[in-house]
Amino acid sequence: MAVRRQPSRADIRKQRMLAAINFPLDWLEERSGLVGAVRYFLFRKVPADTNWMQTLGSATLTAFIVQAVTGVILAMYYKPTPNDAYKSIQYITDELTLGWLVRGMHKWGASVFIILMFLHMGRVFLFGAYKYPRELNWIVGVLLLVMGMLEGFTGYLLPWDQTAYWASVVGINLNGTAPIAGPWLAQFLRGGQEITGDTLTRFYSLHMLIVPGGIAALIGLHLYLVIRLGVTSPPWSKEAAGMERADEPQHLRPGLTRPVPRGGGGSS
Amino acid sequence: MAAVKPRPVDERRAEFARYKKDVKERGKPFHPYAMFHDTVMSLVVVSVITGLAVIWKWTSWGPHHDGLHQGLLGPEYTDPADPGTTSFVPRPDWYFYFLFYLLRIFKWPNSVFLGTVGVPTIALILLIALPLYDVRRERRLSRRPVAVVGAVLTVLSMAVLTWKGATASEALASEVIADVPTWIKQEKLPQNAVPGAKLFAVAGCTACHTYLGTGSSNLGAPDLTAIGTRNLGIDFQIRHLKDPASVVPGSPMPKFASLGEKRLHDLALFLEASKGKR
Amino acid sequence: MSEQEPLPEPHLPPPTLWPIGFAVGIAVLLVGLIINPLWIATIGGAIALVFGLLWARDATADLRGRAIHVEPERAELRPAGTAEIGPPVTPHPEPGERFPRSKFLEGVTLGLGGVIGGIVTVPIAGFAVLPGFLHQKRHQVDLGPVGDFTEGQWYIATFMLDPSEGDVSRRTAFVRNNGSVQAKGGQVPSFTIISNRCAHLGCPVQANGPTGAILGMKDVIEKTKNGKVTLSPTLPAGFGCPCHGGQYDTEGNRTAGPPVRALDRYDFSIKNGHVLLLSTYSVAKVEGTGAQAKIHKYKLVGPGEHVDGIEQVFYPLNPPHH
Repeated sequence: MAVRRQPSRADIRKQRMLAAINFPLDWLEERSGLVGAVRYFLFRKVPADTNWMQTLGSATLTAFIVQAVTGVILAMYYKPTPNDAYKSIQYITDELTLGWLVRGMHKWGASVFIILMFLHMGRVFLFGAYKYPRELNWIVGVLLLVMGMLEGFTGYLLPWDQTAYWASVVGINLNGTAPIAGPWLAQFLRGGQEITGDTLTRFYSLHMLIVPGGIAALIGLHLYLVIRLGVTSPPWSKEAAGMERADEPQHLRPGLTRPVPRGGGGSS
Repeated sequence: MAAVKPRPVDERRAEFARYKKDVKERGKPFHPYAMFHDTVMSLVVVSVITGLAVIWKWTSWGPHHDGLHQGLLGPEYTDPADPGTTSFVPRPDWYFYFLFYLLRIFKWPNSVFLGTVGVPTIALILLIALPLYDVRRERRLSRRPVAVVGAVLTVLSMAVLTWKGATASEALASEVIADVPTWIKQEKLPQNAVPGAKLFAVAGCTACHTYLGTGSSNLGAPDLTAIGTRNLGIDFQIRHLKDPASVVPGSPMPKFASLGEKRLHDLALFLEASKGKR
Repeated sequence: MSEQEPLPEPHLPPPTLWPIGFAVGIAVLLVGLIINPLWIATIGGAIALVFGLLWARDATADLRGRAIHVEPERAELRPAGTAEIGPPVTPHPEPGERFPRSKFLEGVTLGLGGVIGGIVTVPIAGFAVLPGFLHQKRHQVDLGPVGDFTEGQWYIATFMLDPSEGDVSRRTAFVRNNGSVQAKGGQVPSFTIISNRCAHLGCPVQANGPTGAILGMKDVIEKTKNGKVTLSPTLPAGFGCPCHGGQYDTEGNRTAGPPVRALDRYDFSIKNGHVLLLSTYSVAKVEGTGAQAKIHKYKLVGPGEHVDGIEQVFYPLNPPHH
């Protein structure tokens, strides 16, 4: 029988501190179950050999959060009418305290977000992580890519300078060349037969509310699927190699707990 | 007892169950192992974004501090929107350059819709439906030749299209005029050829002719960098400019008679003085 | 089973409604202090006092020995398993009865849900989509007196389609006065008025010719009821587009590049000696030049759309334009 020594004063202090931290968490957990959910997310198991390349997904999420936060702040000062938009951008960039930083972060964050999405997509493609059972996640991801580029397109019009106006003219007319539905789609985007202030507010609504709402919803689905289906190991991993190889005869298929045997090793 | 070959879908389900079991037994907790990697990477991302914003502010800070000064990362804003402009060159944001250049490739009018909606839509469908037609279970790169080759070709072509889109330009009046001082220096043009050089730059000649690298070759128009070495003479040049088809049968070049005698003479002087790079 | 000590009787206050009156009295007192300290505050204080005393009397009843009947907090719990199972609330359908009540309720719920969804979605969707297609404005632009336009001279005219909309309605057209031409009724003026929006994707087309300082001719600036109109003389040999390399001749016909048809033109009329721009129309091609030009006119369509040839089947129906 082990002899338990008396708890020292340091132990008692530590116990009290832990109790103080755990008390609000337990209060919240009992009434909502959320703490348990967060704990599940944080301490779930991932393959032991996950790679640095697999941080691109969360990096993309970070970039999106930067965009969302800077965007919301910019919306406090930006005025979406043809007469005021350019002046408000000038005001934000030149005069408001730290306005140049928030606007700069939003503009360059957009490019970083899109680059990271492409890199993440490339990584998933090369890892073969779109195969069973993660097909739905890939489809959701491509939809996120399309919506991300749509965000970039609608946001580009908002400064209402020459670059913004003409890029949007061409972009809208590009849609207009689609057979049959094209002209109607272009007119819907424009909000009329010409680009007017209605076009600007329409793009603002798309950029601020509709597309980010869609992106947020799809990100939620994307993350849920990642947690549910698990993270893949790199394709060169000893673990993964043992799993998905369809051409290897059954008796040579190694277990995940031992390396690849050569020439008839132990059965799994 | 005859063994029934398991269906592929059952095999996959079994494999996935094995994967789940293995990860549960031998995997590492997300926090702190993978979470640490993610946090470091996120820090890098935020630093890059902030760094770019700071560099943009510093490098676009011209002597006027009005935001219109061009810098390493471009101006903070260009001129206000002018729907009636005749000198602006529209371009999309850089990540659309590959689509932009695609439009310059599909020059035949009947193929326009291929460049605008045809090719991008097909590419998008191929991308979305990827897991539905690539059903092989193999994930190792060395055994996925089609996937690897496809990926390399896609990345290369998008990179090339993006770069070409970034460097594309039309030789139009509003831009070519800036090349005239270089022409004067490189061709050592005499003073009386300068008005003709300016006219040449803005009259749209570079839409079909090339000159010292500026312009594009269209409809078989010759390069005019050294047209003066052919010693065609001022009179010939003026007659040709007034009505090209009467001097060179079958020429698609438009008539420039409306420029008037004085300007035609200036142009002829310029052409005759263009003896190539010296 | 060990003997359990009976729990001590909790001290429960008796049920009483006097606190309500007390609260009302306090409220009236406070309001009265603001509005009318003399009367309303006094009344409020009196009410509070009376009800407060009644409340205190109730609350101390058990201390004074009066028996209090307090309802127990919880009703007696019945032991489990003693619930009676009676006949079902919704009886099984009789033979021959095809729509039992539960199915009816289900159907009505879904149907009502659909109606509610429709009431919310349809007007919203209609509002999002329809205004872009209905009530499109016609515009009429006053370009200034006919005398400003020297015969045979091209001008780059910049004007506003709708001054009330401001700069966003600014447009540019290439205008040439062709003099007059013989038509039914006598001599009628002839103008070539070409829109500067490329027929490929709408980029701003430039004139291939000298303008401004290189040309050495001054701009004409007019103030009409459409705001400021600027006329810049130019000598184009054609028009070119900076985006994807489209080229046009001086009648707007496409000569090179991806544009699918000729440049759009404006209808015009001369009223009180002023040139008025009317609606825009699309052009397939133009044969001939100047006043003798034969223009193949079509209703206005967007850039990139074919108006003739076999490719027009791709664009069978266009939203209304003016």
